Amino acid sequence: MSAYVNTQAVAPDTTVPKSQPAIRFTDLRSSGEPFAWILGGALALGCIMIVSFLAMVFWNGATTFVPKEIQVVTMSNGAMTAGEATRTELYRPQVLDFQKLTPTQQNIITENDGFASRTLYRVGNFDIYNEDYRWISDFEVTKIEAPKDILLAERVEWGPLIGTLKSITVDGEIILLNSVNDKRFANIHDVSRERRERMSEIEKDEIGGINHQIEQLRLNVRRVELAEGLNSEAFAKAQMTLEAQVGGLQEKYKKLADEVLQLRDLNKRNTATFVEIGRQEKIVQMDALVRIYPANDLDVFGAIGVYLSRWWEFVSDEPREANTEGGILPAIFGTAAMTLMMVVAVAPFGIITALYLREYAKQGRLVSFVRISVNNLAGVPSIVYGVFGLGFFAYVLGGSIDQLFYPERLPNPTFGTGGLLWASLTLALLTVPVVIVATEEALSAVPRSMREGSLACGASKWQTIKYIVLPRALPGIMTGIILAMARGAGEVAPLMLVGVVKLAPELPIDGFFPFVHLERSFMHLGFHIYDVGFQSRNAEAGKPMVFVTTMLLIGLIFALNITAIVVRNRLKQKFKGSQF
Amino acid sequence: MAGVNTEAINPDPLLSRQRRSMKTPRSVLIADKTADWVIRIGGLSVILAVFGIMVFLAQAVVPLFTGGQLEGQTKAALQSGGHKTLTDFLDEYRTLSVAVDDTGAVSAFHIKTGVVINAPSFDFGGQTASAFARTLAGGYVAFGFSDGTLRLGRLVIAVDVIDDTAAPADLRALGTQGDRTDGTAIYAKVSEAQLRRTLVKVELDDAQQITPNGTAIRALDYRVGGTAERPARSFITVDADGIGRVTLSETTKNFMTGKKTVKLTTSELPGLPPGVLVSGVLMTEKADQVYIAEKSGTVYRFDTRSFSAPTLAETIDIAPGAVDINVIGFLIGEQSIVVGGSDGSVNIYFKLPSDTASSTDGFTMVRAKTLEPHSSAVVAMDVSQRGKTFVTADAQGQVWMRHATSEQVLLRLSPGDEKPAYQALALSPRQNAVLAIADNGSAYAWDVDVPHPESTLQTIFGKVWYEGYPEPTYTWQSSAGTDAFEPKLSLMPLIFGTIKATVYSLLFAIPIAIGAAIYTSEFLHHKVRAVVKPTMELMASLPSVVLGFIAALVLAPIVETWIVAILMAFFVMPLGLFFGAYMWQLLPYRIQLKYGASPKFVGMIIALFVFGYLSYASGSVLDGIFFAGDFKAWASGTAGSGAPFTALFLLPVVFIAAWIIMGRVSEVRLSSLMRSNNRFKAGVADLGRWVGTLLIAGTASYAIASVLTSLGLDLRGGVVDTYVQRNTLIVAFAMGFAVIPIIYTIAEDALTSVPEHLRAASLACGATPWQTAISVILPTAMSGVFAAIMVGMGRAVGETMIVVMAAGNTPLIEWNIFEGLRALSANIAVELPEAVRDSTLYRVLFLAALTLFVMTFIVNTLAELVRQRFRKRTAAL
Repeated sequence: MSAYVNTQAVAPDTTVPKSQPAIRFTDLRSSGEPFAWILGGALALGCIMIVSFLAMVFWNGATTFVPKEIQVVTMSNGAMTAGEATRTELYRPQVLDFQKLTPTQQNIITENDGFASRTLYRVGNFDIYNEDYRWISDFEVTKIEAPKDILLAERVEWGPLIGTLKSITVDGEIILLNSVNDKRFANIHDVSRERRERMSEIEKDEIGGINHQIEQLRLNVRRVELAEGLNSEAFAKAQMTLEAQVGGLQEKYKKLADEVLQLRDLNKRNTATFVEIGRQEKIVQMDALVRIYPANDLDVFGAIGVYLSRWWEFVSDEPREANTEGGILPAIFGTAAMTLMMVVAVAPFGIITALYLREYAKQGRLVSFVRISVNNLAGVPSIVYGVFGLGFFAYVLGGSIDQLFYPERLPNPTFGTGGLLWASLTLALLTVPVVIVATEEALSAVPRSMREGSLACGASKWQTIKYIVLPRALPGIMTGIILAMARGAGEVAPLMLVGVVKLAPELPIDGFFPFVHLERSFMHLGFHIYDVGFQSRNAEAGKPMVFVTTMLLIGLIFALNITAIVVRNRLKQKFKGSQF
Repeated sequence: MAGVNTEAINPDPLLSRQRRSMKTPRSVLIADKTADWVIRIGGLSVILAVFGIMVFLAQAVVPLFTGGQLEGQTKAALQSGGHKTLTDFLDEYRTLSVAVDDTGAVSAFHIKTGVVINAPSFDFGGQTASAFARTLAGGYVAFGFSDGTLRLGRLVIAVDVIDDTAAPADLRALGTQGDRTDGTAIYAKVSEAQLRRTLVKVELDDAQQITPNGTAIRALDYRVGGTAERPARSFITVDADGIGRVTLSETTKNFMTGKKTVKLTTSELPGLPPGVLVSGVLMTEKADQVYIAEKSGTVYRFDTRSFSAPTLAETIDIAPGAVDINVIGFLIGEQSIVVGGSDGSVNIYFKLPSDTASSTDGFTMVRAKTLEPHSSAVVAMDVSQRGKTFVTADAQGQVWMRHATSEQVLLRLSPGDEKPAYQALALSPRQNAVLAIADNGSAYAWDVDVPHPESTLQTIFGKVWYEGYPEPTYTWQSSAGTDAFEPKLSLMPLIFGTIKATVYSLLFAIPIAIGAAIYTSEFLHHKVRAVVKPTMELMASLPSVVLGFIAALVLAPIVETWIVAILMAFFVMPLGLFFGAYMWQLLPYRIQLKYGASPKFVGMIIALFVFGYLSYASGSVLDGIFFAGDFKAWASGTAGSGAPFTALFLLPVVFIAAWIIMGRVSEVRLSSLMRSNNRFKAGVADLGRWVGTLLIAGTASYAIASVLTSLGLDLRGGVVDTYVQRNTLIVAFAMGFAVIPIIYTIAEDALTSVPEHLRAASLACGATPWQTAISVILPTAMSGVFAAIMVGMGRAVGETMIVVMAAGNTPLIEWNIFEGLRALSANIAVELPEAVRDSTLYRVLFLAALTLFVMTFIVNTLAELVRQRFRKRTAAL
């Protein structure tokens, strides 16, 4: 047979002329090179998409906290702007704007096919300019400088301030100063910041505690009223206790409030006066300055210091300015708490179900039907689980719990609305098919001979499962659980229905009895991305933070997945023939 | 086959005891039994719970389609002494009902028991009202008299909550539910210490002369607008001579003296036939439209926007033949007019803009809905203050509760065996009670429960003619600003949105994913594969909120700026790959063999980059050629011709056709050329063949496109239209990131699991890897690849965050790829957090979730069945 034969699969035998001479070389077309390149191109495109996507996220995320140079741009009309250059793009100037330009500028644009380049500057000083960002077209620029004395100050409110330091006021006494590296500045800044921390501690912990106690007493009265009636003795007693204790508590409250007021007054006497690039002065209280550094006068260590301190603030602090600044500690905490609770719920049930299906149920049509359904449920959209979670967990279950255990708080729902518990259970339901499937695979990979050996030695069925089957299957089960965690941590859509909020002032764990508050709504990294990226005052201002959050979330999920893949690969030989 | 045989597991305790003379410890037995039960019960309950989801969703949806329920019925006798009842009212809490007759007497009774209580009456000074009107809300009433005077007034059922201690001492009990009365007010218990007092209050202004010569007023309508301090009352009267008048009455209060001054402005309506017999008049709240319905069926519509000079805008006969108009009234919002005829018909009319109308203001009245008719003449009607529900009564005594949007009869109420002649009908403010008063003074009250009047299968899945719309449409617009808003709850635009997002993202994802899978399993070096495959799998776990964020905030602006280059890349990149392949063929065979693995793959990546850059660099040139230099204007259809892009769009199809035809025509000559022993020559010939085919195909497709365009077929207006920033193209890109890894992984698994011996046999017979892949591996793994596509589709259907963020959320039904969409999943995520529990919207969103569940369940089951078939097939090989 000649080599030509192999085209027969494509062209039937009859089309081959019999008079053909014997052929030694393969038809070039049979190698299908162009089509193979198309297939390869598809793979290449997929790889490029992925790599560029990840590169973009990680680059943007990693560079967000790098202190950038502040450029002072002098424009052709004499105006000056100071800011961090964030990005550059090409655009097409509007016809009207174009006509206003000078002929030289018009020429530059015309030569460039009608496009002009412009740079987005983060100018800060929102309280003065009413904008955070400003576009400056390249043709307007006459001079760009980077003066050493210009500062970037991150503030508690109004976003960053960009300008030079003129003076500071310490206890009402004005000291002329133009460098933040001065000891006097650092000292007074530290003192003010400490006072502020003390103030927030009092407000949050101590005053919060008193409010909590008063609230508890009120609820107690209401509970007694519901149980015993308005005219009962118990009610009168509860009322008495309330009145007796509220007085003392309010006294304490007043004392603490006075202390806060005092600290606030002290802090009001320590200020710094800045001058922005347009010569407008701005007085800022020292304690409102989160971080201040001379952006163009940083050495490498200084830059690293700023970078690291920003990272630390990001992972250890609470959000400010509608979530666009500050940290995301509550979101990290919420994500972790929810994922862990989800695992606590999903792991036992998933494993028990898989054990039932694989070891106990009679293998037949019904079980294979159940198996198909479980597989299918893994593909049911997450939002459907969210709808179920809201309708069943929050409204039906939670509503009943409120009726039974928290009638004194009604009509305000306790468990009857979205919260940490319901979110975890919803996600547990969502991920239970993943665990079931993985566990079943792991169980079926345990050789039957081992089970039979164990039983033959006289072990009971449970002993066999406990000592023989489960240990062998454990790595596979772990893989399933880790994959379930990865899926659960990244889901956002169902959480939007069952308890995630943009800002949760109270963490689910705190110092008040019963310490763990499963009914509280919580923050979540994924929802944080959605919220800051889409619902904040200024999407541009929030974008850098979103990139960092995104990087963190992707990093978390990839870490979980890679763990699962590593576990799986290590055990692949053991599970030969099994399908993941 | 799978699993452990249960018989093998139970050890025989007797046997072990004999042999080892040891007893199984009790703890082991207990642990075994416990584990047995825990696992059985736990397993079964998880399975049940998972199936419970569907049951739960379904039970939440069912009440949407169950219509209404009658909860109770009472009858009371009022002493009306043969006077005509003008109207009746019910209060908010179904406690009290009030009827007014034409002598001004007001009779009130407790609904649950029928006990009559005292109520103040209107003092007409012995006159009898000849015409009456009231506003829909607020209890404003107007009476017209035979001497041409008119008196305005107000009748309010006042409800306030008082302390237990403030109630009068001697109260009579009413019924068993704790209601009490002192004869003039009803006291109902709200809580331990509070009572709700319900009583009737009336006000009556002085008479105002409307007709100059004292002609009797025959018909009347009344509206109250303006502000509380300065109310603007407007009314319309038709007198016995058939003269219609619009009157505006403004009350101003002098701040100094506190004296009220009433200013009347009246103008006559032109064009009414003299002595017209009127069955109803209607006026809008802004007093800019007036409708006068003649008994015989003609409606005169007046344009009263210019108050001093009203014009007759339209005359239309809406009840032809011998049919009379018996009742006519606005639904809330004053956009729909309900007309009840003497033949029992109930129709709804809209005022719609029309080009061909004979009217002077460009509008015409259109019969939008024909509802189920009564078997006898319609005699009375009342409309709801909170929605599009209304009640109609017929001469046989039947009272039907209906809804205008859903066109359904919610409840058919009947007074038992009697056939009362109703004079007035009332629907309670919460749509939970109906009251009818007959000419003999009997009052009938029904307690009803109609939770979801606006939903039927037709309103959710079918076309509905909404108020103010020119024709029936599928529309989703759930937000209710006011009670007058008509909720539009058609799921079709959302289902369409889901399908559109799925189709476009699969169009993008399938070729890339399947191509990549084939290449990975058949051509890629195993070391590269070991890196590429897990990376792709990792991508499947990328949170969709991240994809949505990147798509909407990063990708969308980029795509908007470089749209031409990106569209062109779809065509330029494949061309580049082909070009790269032909260049590769020109390389010496030795080098091809040596660098055939990874370096070739790198070459492909380079080809993509080079040609991607080319399409970017030549963007403005291509823009000029295909899109007349301005893409957005071109896409909206305002600039340039559609032919060049249509040609480009057709190019792949035409190219394939040309390729096949060329092959057929020159098969013998070509194959001898291709098999020549000089591979370089063969390569050049192959390149020439490709270039030639491309040129021919280009010319042909341009010719076809020109013909199509001249025939009026244009891509624009269909899949290409006005560009918005967040559009389906962006969704397709972002969804590609989510779907490609899934399809890729499963398809690659399927391809790899084709038994090795098939591959070996094919190669051993002399087939090239390409021939093996296409003719042996792919057909064998086809069902697995198909299953992969189905699973990817399931993911695309249910994807939520990407469509929430990147799709713009506009519920439109059009295929335009540059327009956004609103998918079922996104709609649930956006609207459910705001929906009131158990409201119609809440349940419709549950129905959306159920729809999504069923859609994905079908797709996934199909995939699973195909996959199982595939497994069996490969097992048999």
